[in-house]
Amino acid sequence: MSGVRMEEVVKRYGDVQVIHGIDLEIADGEFCVFVGPSGCGKSTLLRMVAGLEDTTEGAMHIGGREVTRLDPAERGVAMVFQTYALYPHMTVRENMTFGLRMNGHPKSEIAEKVAEATRILKLEDYLDRKPAALSGGQRQRVSIGRAIVRGPEVFLFDEPLSNLDAELRVEMRVEIARLHKDIGATMIYVTHDQVEAMTLADKIVVLRAGRIEQVGAPLDLYRDPDNRFVAGFIGSPAMNFVTGVVQDGAVDVPALGGTVSPQVELPAEGTEVIIGLRPEHAKIDPNGTTLTVEITEALGGISYAYLTSSAGEKLIIEERGEISSALGDTVSRTFEPHHLYVFDKDSETRIR
Amino acid sequence: MFPTPIQKRSEAVRVTYQVFLPIALILWLLPLIAVASFSIRPLTDFTQGNFWGWPSSFNLFTNYGRVFFESDMPRYMLNSLMITIPTVVGAVALSCMTGFALGIYRFKGNLLIFFMFIAGNFVPFQILMVPVRDLTVSLNLYDTKLGLVLFHIAFQTGFCTLFMRNFIKALPVELIEAARVEGVAEWRIFWFVVLPLMRPAIAALAVLIFTFIWNDYFWAIVLTQGPEAQPVTAGITSFNSQFVAQYHLMSAGSIVAAIPPVAMFFAMQKHFIAGLTLGAVK
Repeated sequence: MSGVRMEEVVKRYGDVQVIHGIDLEIADGEFCVFVGPSGCGKSTLLRMVAGLEDTTEGAMHIGGREVTRLDPAERGVAMVFQTYALYPHMTVRENMTFGLRMNGHPKSEIAEKVAEATRILKLEDYLDRKPAALSGGQRQRVSIGRAIVRGPEVFLFDEPLSNLDAELRVEMRVEIARLHKDIGATMIYVTHDQVEAMTLADKIVVLRAGRIEQVGAPLDLYRDPDNRFVAGFIGSPAMNFVTGVVQDGAVDVPALGGTVSPQVELPAEGTEVIIGLRPEHAKIDPNGTTLTVEITEALGGISYAYLTSSAGEKLIIEERGEISSALGDTVSRTFEPHHLYVFDKDSETRIR
Repeated sequence: MFPTPIQKRSEAVRVTYQVFLPIALILWLLPLIAVASFSIRPLTDFTQGNFWGWPSSFNLFTNYGRVFFESDMPRYMLNSLMITIPTVVGAVALSCMTGFALGIYRFKGNLLIFFMFIAGNFVPFQILMVPVRDLTVSLNLYDTKLGLVLFHIAFQTGFCTLFMRNFIKALPVELIEAARVEGVAEWRIFWFVVLPLMRPAIAALAVLIFTFIWNDYFWAIVLTQGPEAQPVTAGITSFNSQFVAQYHLMSAGSIVAAIPPVAMFFAMQKHFIAGLTLGAVK
């Protein structure tokens, strides 16, 4: 049993509050991803779990044990940093064994653990190299290896793939997913990359300005966002938002070329609302007249069209294959009404 | 490019440059050239006022021989070593620790303490002359090498701390955090993680402090007297008898005394330059 539980956790730097009372339960063996824009407090929250930042108020539990005031070393966590944080003057083997050696573990035990970590991460050939002689991906593998060797209850990853190039990032992402499957330990992973969040997580925690916006399984967040922020943050390209007015039991949306009837309980007549529509849920209708094609991007398998309405609202549509409409064409788009999301204009919460 | 390379300037500028550069160089080196030439003259050249003319005889071996074998110079050189090396070790060791504390730990008054270390460098040490001398006398450290070493360490640690703290501050803090998460004790983090990474800074600082201390004259004459404890910079004047200044021997002694720091500079030039710029860049 080594889940993580936070109760009303608060972080303040002097008068500045950066984490505003977070309640969160991460189950044993769960892969939990903190995601959010930069400055949302996700790294701070992770560092509070690690004990590298003091928790100002509230309580932190790891594996049923209160750890709020404990030193990082006593919390049974291992951390992987964005910058790898490998000791440059030590070889890979020395890096991985440093913590154990310093704490007087027997040599045979250390060798055993290193052998296992090296096997899992395929680092056999690099054990006697210094970090400077490794590529970025290898360095991050060593850094993960160092975490594995400690045999922690909880793994903490602080944007581990942000310093890698796109190709390696995909490779390492798969590797981390495999690692979680193999080891089965609780993992908390911080990223601003929502693809990483979607692919790795059992549970995503969307944070904004030190508050939790929504917690849930990746596809639940995608299908059923609680508010405009989550809807816009999860999914790529981001969900389109256009304004509309409730009229006669439907919503008049100029950018979509008329009234639409989302399958929700609409607010009172005349209320302004925000309509959300994902790029992948719409198709271009070449015979329409409401939208102008600004730019198209062909990525081979899929294409994106960037459209502008006469009122200047921007929309993105994703299509399979190529988009036949040329720049400057006027088009409209077709969609299923159940793919429309409605949000309150002021509070930005979802209207269901 | 600024300044414009001299090759690209006008003819007149180039000629002026080529004329004045050697002149400036000679002017600059004149004192050294004078000392070098004095060191091979006989004393009679000085009494007859033949400072710049052709030496009446070349006494290279006689003069240097007397310096090495008939004077206390070897003793003074040894004193210099016994003062300089412990000071370098002490000041560097202390500043590694103060630098670590000030660079890594966040605590109230951190900056204040750091500024006090820096501010100490701005106090003109001449005004400390009398109190420091009184202090050494009352501590029974007057005219001892230990006294000189202790006071040099005290005075150099300020500058060294500035240097080391800035260097440590520039190290990635994740290295220390990673070690902390792994449960490594703080002093072990200092010893096994931070110290090995400070090697370039330690080398640079050691070379710098070595030359500072070796060349010190002020504290040497304030805090010591006689061949028991005086370093070579102060010992040179001991050639002078009560009535006659032995300029030729003093010159030879000066050249000998200058050799270690100059040799140090050439051998460790890379570290020396690094030392001068390392603290400044951050």
